[in-house]
Amino acid sequence: MDVLHNLMFGFSHALTLQNLLFCAIGCTVGTLVGLLPGLGPLATISLLLPLTYSIPTGGALIMLAGIYYGAQYGDSVSAITMKIPHASSIVACIDGYQMTLKGKTGLALFTAGVSSFIGGTVAIVVLSFLAPSLGEVAFLFGPADYCALMLVGFVCVSFVTTGSLLNGLAMCLIGVLLGQIGTDVNSGLPRFTFDLPFLAEGVGLVSVALGCFGIAEITKNLDAREERSPFNGKIKLMPTWAEFKRIIPSALRGSAVGSFLGILPGGGPVIAQFAAYALDKKVSKYRHEIGSGAIEGVAGQAAADEAAARTSFIPLMSIGIPENAVMALMMAAFVIKGIQPGPNMIAGHPDLFWGLVASMWVGNCFLLLLNVPLVRYWLSVFKIPYNVLFPAILFFCCIGTYSVNNNLDDIFVTAAFGFAGYLFMRLGMDAAPLMLGFILGPMLEENFRRAMLLSRGSFGTFLSRPISGSLLGLIAVFVVWQLLSFFLKSRNAPLAAGTPSTLHP
Amino acid sequence: MNNQNLVRGLFLGAIALSFGLGALRYPIGDFAHAGAGLFPLMVSGLLLLIAVITVVRSFLIAPVPLGFSLKNIALILVALCSFAVISKLVNMVAGIAVMVFIASLAGTAYSWKRNLKIAAGLIAVAFAFQKLLGLNLPLI
Repeated sequence: MDVLHNLMFGFSHALTLQNLLFCAIGCTVGTLVGLLPGLGPLATISLLLPLTYSIPTGGALIMLAGIYYGAQYGDSVSAITMKIPHASSIVACIDGYQMTLKGKTGLALFTAGVSSFIGGTVAIVVLSFLAPSLGEVAFLFGPADYCALMLVGFVCVSFVTTGSLLNGLAMCLIGVLLGQIGTDVNSGLPRFTFDLPFLAEGVGLVSVALGCFGIAEITKNLDAREERSPFNGKIKLMPTWAEFKRIIPSALRGSAVGSFLGILPGGGPVIAQFAAYALDKKVSKYRHEIGSGAIEGVAGQAAADEAAARTSFIPLMSIGIPENAVMALMMAAFVIKGIQPGPNMIAGHPDLFWGLVASMWVGNCFLLLLNVPLVRYWLSVFKIPYNVLFPAILFFCCIGTYSVNNNLDDIFVTAAFGFAGYLFMRLGMDAAPLMLGFILGPMLEENFRRAMLLSRGSFGTFLSRPISGSLLGLIAVFVVWQLLSFFLKSRNAPLAAGTPSTLHP
Repeated sequence: MNNQNLVRGLFLGAIALSFGLGALRYPIGDFAHAGAGLFPLMVSGLLLLIAVITVVRSFLIAPVPLGFSLKNIALILVALCSFAVISKLVNMVAGIAVMVFIASLAGTAYSWKRNLKIAAGLIAVAFAFQKLLGLNLPLI
């Protein structure tokens, strides 16, 4: 009953006219961003960070969260109608696009919208029960445990987002090193600043995010030079009762999978979709149809996607450690507003926490409205040619960078990171782990130095503490497994690896 | 050199060395009383290790060709920088117009009429930001 009471308290905050407005703006911008190429949720949230300085804290967080989960909705629309996912709806391309080919676009969009709604609702229940109790656990964490937890996060994010532990970890470390630029908080010594005054406070978060995601993405789309063919077919939204009945079990399964995977470090929408899709393929009554445009193939993954997007707030708000790059940015937003996410946040700012949770459900209703009955109007967004779109995105990048400090010099930093982001992309390195490393870097150093100070310089503290010991053990098992699988693979296929290089010397 | 994995390894190594050698200039201290240079030195050491593994690995697996086209990224960067410079020297309205005209050279089709329309639209948005959201933009 306590939770119900708290939720009612949250709704009393979320349902004020002002917060309703911010929620609506967040969801609309999120959907738009999900639909359009060139600006993922990461770039958009960092773009809007400076705009939130003048907005009250609760409203700002509600809006930014709305952008994040709204983008998941919009993304699946673009995946279903054109087979182009921008952020994370990779799985929706499989069965969703097959349904479009069969002329069932409306049904696919309806399924995705309703399943996302179900997934979001389930996740909010999980969030409101689990986050406060997980916060209690966080009080047991010492500096060494925080270090180990962040390292687990790095390993998981690296593996999940890039599929290659080595590349992802490298990006995390580069992010940590970039986070070192600026004044050392312990000794007051400026590090890696080259005596440039604007680097004394470190590299701007917005510059890194816009450079690596916004500008690199624009250039990637320009290099590809493909003209998109907008969707022009007819849409019949309402399903028959028999079709509707098929949505529910699959959506519930997806919600459970998504809620669970969203909580784990490195988890989040992408991995949840794949897991839900795989589960449906195993247990669904219509599993033979999945892959060729089945309702279950869309419903399960859409629900998991949305559920994971919400439950990934749990580690951030109860332990204070973001588990993926978008959550790291959300943490930056909390910190800018003067709030440290962590075990003390729920007790210290109950209006913010419960208001945010309640607003997620309000946002869910908004998104259902925006994406099911109004989806026709969104489809016309696809008709904007990219030649018009990319100067506009570039303009938003400029204004966003400038507004952080009202300083035009920051745009040069953004340009430099744009080039770096382009290099990373061409070298096959994903920038998302970099963002996580960049934001967690200072925290990692702080906790590492504190742990070493407490243990008088002995690394034994990381192994003797039960929490950090078992977390580091997990990492060790994972690394050994990766090494073994690489060696086994290269031994089995030495010929296949050798032939292309001899053909093209 | 046309091998993505090899170039990536060398690139990572360069980053690790530049941060690692830089960190040596700061006091290192010992583990119990870490100086400013200790943590970056450890992290860049790890990165160097990954770089070496990547380079070694690139000889063991099939090479992936490297695709670079410098034209678009160069145009975009020039557009960004000229936005900053022109906004400083003249004002932001001129900066926006110049940025649109340079950036659209990277597009698939060029039309100065369309550029004028885009620039006008963006300048209107900038004025809206200034008046409605209270952003401090030096438009004029």
